Amino acid sequence: MNEVCFKNLDKKDSWSLAVYEASGGYSVWRKILRGELTPEQIIDELKASGLRGRGGAGFPTGLKWSFMPRNSAGQKYVVCNSDEGEPGTCKDRDILRYNPHAVIEGMAIGGFVMNATTGYNYIRGEFIEPFNRFEGALKEAYAAGLLGENISDSGVDFNLYAHLGAGAYVCGEETALLESIEGKKGQPRFKPPFPANVGLYGKPTTINNTESFASVADILSKGGKWFADLGVENSGGCKLFSVSGHVKNPANFEVSMGTPFKDLLEMAGGMRDGAKLKAVIPGGSSTPVLTADVAMAMTMDYDGIEKAGSMLGAGSVIVMDESTCMVETLTRLAHFYYDESCGQCTPCREGTGWLYRALKRITDGNGKDGDIELLLNVQDKIMGNTICALGDAAAMPVESFLRNFREEFEYYIEHGKSMVKG
Amino acid sequence: MAKIEIEIDGKMVRAKPGEMLISVTDREGISVPRFCYHKKLSVAASCRMCLVDVEGAPKPQPACSTPISEGMKIHTQNEKSKSSQKAVMEFLLINHPLDCPICDQGGECELQDVAVEYGSDVSCFSEGKRIVADNDIGPLIQTDMTRCIHCTRCVRFGAEIAGIMEMGGTGRGDHLKIEPFLTEGVTSELSGNMIDVCPVGALTSKPFRYELRSWQMNSTSTIARHDLVGSNINAQTYKGNVKRVVSGDNDAVNETWISDRDRFSYEGLSHENRLLEPQIKIEGQWKEVGWHVALDYAVKGLTSNILNNHQSDQLGVMASKTSTVEEFYLLQKIAREIGSENIDYRLNIKNLDNTAKLESNIKLGGLEGVDHALIVGSNPRLEQPMINHRLRKASLNGTSVDVINSMKFDFNYQLNSENIIAPNQIASTLAGVLSSVLASVSIELPDYLQSIKVSKESASIAEKLNNSDNSVIVLGEHVVNAENSATIVNLIAQIAKHTNSTTLNLSTTANSLAAELTGFVPGSKGMNVNAMLESDLKAYILLDIYPEYDFHHADKAIDALNDKDNFVISLNGFKNDIVSEYSDVILPIAAFYETSGTHININGDMQSFAASVVAPGESKPAWKVFKVLADLLKLPGFNYVDSTQITEEVSHQAHNNHLHNENIDLSITSDNINIIWQQSPYSIDALLRHSGSLQQTKIGKLNFAYMNASVAKDLGVSADSKYLGVPVVITDAVADRCVFVNANKATQTGGES
Ligand SMILES: Cc1cc2nc3c(=O)[nH]c(=O)nc-3n(C[C@H](O)[C@H](O)[C@H](O)COP(=O)(O)O)c2cc1C
Ligand code: SF4
Ligand code: FES
Repeated sequence: MNEVCFKNLDKKDSWSLAVYEASGGYSVWRKILRGELTPEQIIDELKASGLRGRGGAGFPTGLKWSFMPRNSAGQKYVVCNSDEGEPGTCKDRDILRYNPHAVIEGMAIGGFVMNATTGYNYIRGEFIEPFNRFEGALKEAYAAGLLGENISDSGVDFNLYAHLGAGAYVCGEETALLESIEGKKGQPRFKPPFPANVGLYGKPTTINNTESFASVADILSKGGKWFADLGVENSGGCKLFSVSGHVKNPANFEVSMGTPFKDLLEMAGGMRDGAKLKAVIPGGSSTPVLTADVAMAMTMDYDGIEKAGSMLGAGSVIVMDESTCMVETLTRLAHFYYDESCGQCTPCREGTGWLYRALKRITDGNGKDGDIELLLNVQDKIMGNTICALGDAAAMPVESFLRNFREEFEYYIEHGKSMVKG
Repeated sequence: MAKIEIEIDGKMVRAKPGEMLISVTDREGISVPRFCYHKKLSVAASCRMCLVDVEGAPKPQPACSTPISEGMKIHTQNEKSKSSQKAVMEFLLINHPLDCPICDQGGECELQDVAVEYGSDVSCFSEGKRIVADNDIGPLIQTDMTRCIHCTRCVRFGAEIAGIMEMGGTGRGDHLKIEPFLTEGVTSELSGNMIDVCPVGALTSKPFRYELRSWQMNSTSTIARHDLVGSNINAQTYKGNVKRVVSGDNDAVNETWISDRDRFSYEGLSHENRLLEPQIKIEGQWKEVGWHVALDYAVKGLTSNILNNHQSDQLGVMASKTSTVEEFYLLQKIAREIGSENIDYRLNIKNLDNTAKLESNIKLGGLEGVDHALIVGSNPRLEQPMINHRLRKASLNGTSVDVINSMKFDFNYQLNSENIIAPNQIASTLAGVLSSVLASVSIELPDYLQSIKVSKESASIAEKLNNSDNSVIVLGEHVVNAENSATIVNLIAQIAKHTNSTTLNLSTTANSLAAELTGFVPGSKGMNVNAMLESDLKAYILLDIYPEYDFHHADKAIDALNDKDNFVISLNGFKNDIVSEYSDVILPIAAFYETSGTHININGDMQSFAASVVAPGESKPAWKVFKVLADLLKLPGFNYVDSTQITEEVSHQAHNNHLHNENIDLSITSDNINIIWQQSPYSIDALLRHSGSLQQTKIGKLNFAYMNASVAKDLGVSADSKYLGVPVVITDAVADRCVFVNANKATQTGGES
């Protein structure tokens, strides 16, 4: 446990440059500055590590970095996504609070590999403390001569800026994030073109999640194989899981990929008040909900969770006990997406409102025959038809809640009250 | 570029790689529904109506933003495409009020049309519908934003075409609202195009509100005559009245946009001030009479005043610059047949000995291809909106623009340099430019440039022109009455010649190119307008002239025309007291939309149009009046049956031979306060002055004399007083020693200082 992003967690002032460097921090960056590592070597090592994007989609990071036209003329950018808005997620916050230099080093390495001399870290608007930590770390790194122009006479330039968001979930979508940095309304762009070709200010740009960047330096110093071996086939390394909900000890846990869910649950102190597990959302509110039996048999890695019928997503594990009314829970989730839809594309703008209003009507006691079919129908009409994945994210929970807990919905519609709470 | 092959609905189709799928399907006549896509705007890909099935792609792809590639297989009609399109249609309708019966867009609504094909007749939506509060965005556009489908065409139109983002999306999710950012509403000179681009009834024409259904009206294509572009428009008519004007498509002229001026001026047609009956003045009393009586009276007047006395050179004819080719041609022909060459349309020029000719030798489309433009004395946005649109497009593509003006204007594109100087310094600045240009090509300086010191500004303007392969110099209206206006024009011609620049002459607008082409200018034995006014002429024929608006020397003109001994025949579309005062016969004539005719635009296109409606009351197209008058005067050569015969004749014998001053004289260096007197954009002709909604807009209300504090002090005026009858605005935007007047009313002095 706690071997990569959280390895210094128990040290005093873990966020300081001194602690970071004492544990080998910036050694990779210095090696690069000395000219001892090539971009190709770095990409090969990342590919060997099996690191997959920790922002939700799980795209192999090494492969992503290799897509950047590093030799094309003109400005290129590297951007870190610390918007962390997915309900259930709070891991990036703690990386920024306790290990900001790992993010800086990871981004600098990314900048070098992709020939991007400028980086931005887009930090969620509410994260004032993490933002200040990160700014403090940036100051230290500049003062230590680790960032800037022609760093240590290496000929390498890298300037890094933190950018505070303004509280929109959709700005975590990578192209909305770029719009937001550009000072525009945070609305996702349609693709193609992809950011690797037309990104920030129209220039080639790579966007990665905070945890992805924070893992890079250790992978390069200890080797891709070391990282891969921490995890399981197809899911290299360890992963931060934010465990929340009806557990005794909700927290972030950095564990090996492939760890059984029940072990993770135990680390979180088990169920609160000895209650019985009812359901688990394993990867953040956008991923399908699982029943207790299925969850207890699942391992926490990309394939394991997919086999169980959901997705690893951002590793945000929401645990629910028997007292949970699934109708009200889904209504709350639907409200979130309704509220956070950017509104530009029709299926998401209209569909999220429709889902929420229909669910609200049910929980207000005014459900009617055909509502379940209606909800399934509406979510199906959103799925796959939108500009960005927020639409899908809003649709997916509906389908899984109704599939796994249909009788609760039927009860609510028929009786006008919750089957669980009465 | 080599073409590639793709398969659409089983049919092989050739197209350019990278082309968007929707342009290919449009070209092939394959129908793909869409709302946000507009061929002249950037792609938004947000409505999702155009989703189609692309083989190999897991999700349906929007045709508007999917670039095609070799071997692509697309199904636009299969289950996957149709179900996505139907899903989007349903989503668009759930919050739409479906108030078609009371919606002005009904019958021409893209949502309605597509819903017929893709919509369902029952809705499963039973939640409350969204309601959006409306803002008043101005006198031209009615908003009903509850109907908005958030396609953002209007937003993109503002940001991309009008060049000011006046509408935007605020809020997110289903709180997203399309609304103006400012309480001022929408003020762009091109704003009405938002009505055309809006696919639904959210933005409709305010003057047309609740008037008629689109299918009740006839549509005739015609030409707008307020500027040098001659935008192609469609006049929609009902029972003999123009009810609405929308833009027509012509890529070489106005693409698909029109100015608000062209769109809304039709309102003036039904103004209560229209002149409906011929009338004659007998012993100081006006009497409405039939056409025969009026024309007989006119002929008698001409006969007794000039013809019987063999004083045919005592006739003067003048016409408004909005007249048609046919009107100009027939009126000058009448004058010449009678034996007078006192012919002129340049009523607003202070000193006609001080004019020089600058040709326009670049087409509208060509403007988009220039790499540099120098604008002298113009506010093109308000004066020639569609020409400014081309310059803006060029600028967005990287064209640099230098400006020499006497006031800072609100350009909607970036300027490389903006030189704000008084008119009487423009000549010396241009002389510096010419001197610098000649020096760089090692041509010996002519005498008049020997003593010119080249300023930094002149040098840099010269350098830009020298270094560009394809530049244009644009001359506007503001210097026509400068003390050295001919010198300015001739310097521009010289600079253009030595830098291989093209020139664009915007110094006189509307249909003035037609006046030049038809010879509506004084002949070698004739007098120009200012000379006529000093010569106690015995008779006049005046075509659509309103002296207090049209003449530079308005007081002098009114005095001269009021002379008791002369006989004045006026042809007018609108009643006017001053005209009644001096005229002996007033003949009511057709206005825009009511006559056939021809307009010549800056491209040199002779664009002919038919009448869209019949003129009201007894009023008649002026060309017909001239024909009958000529017949009654027994003048030969007026056997026209329709106006196209006249146009034909004009194209065979165009003559244009009036004198121009070719001197360059840099000795005038007076320190007088310069006045630039310009009619405000919606007051330049009689129809505009009578179009109510335009007059209520911000541009319509432009009526200010701008000057800086020191000039105000010298003139003894202040911010709450008037100068020459026009409210004073004190601003540093105007060059020193200079007053810039935009007036919408007549003044006592007509711009004389
Ligand atoms: C609605 C929406 C919200 C998202 N929010 C986040 C976020 O908060 N943080 C994040 O890293 N990725 C987020 N993503 C995923 C990003 O678009 C992107 O895939 C990711 O930042 C790429 O980094 P990675 O390859 O390192 O995972 C979001 C995606 C969507 C559609
Ligand atoms: S799916 Fe939703 S959030 Fe994404 S672009 Fe469309 S409206 Fe905006
Ligand atoms: S027309 Fe393609 S998404 Fe709107």
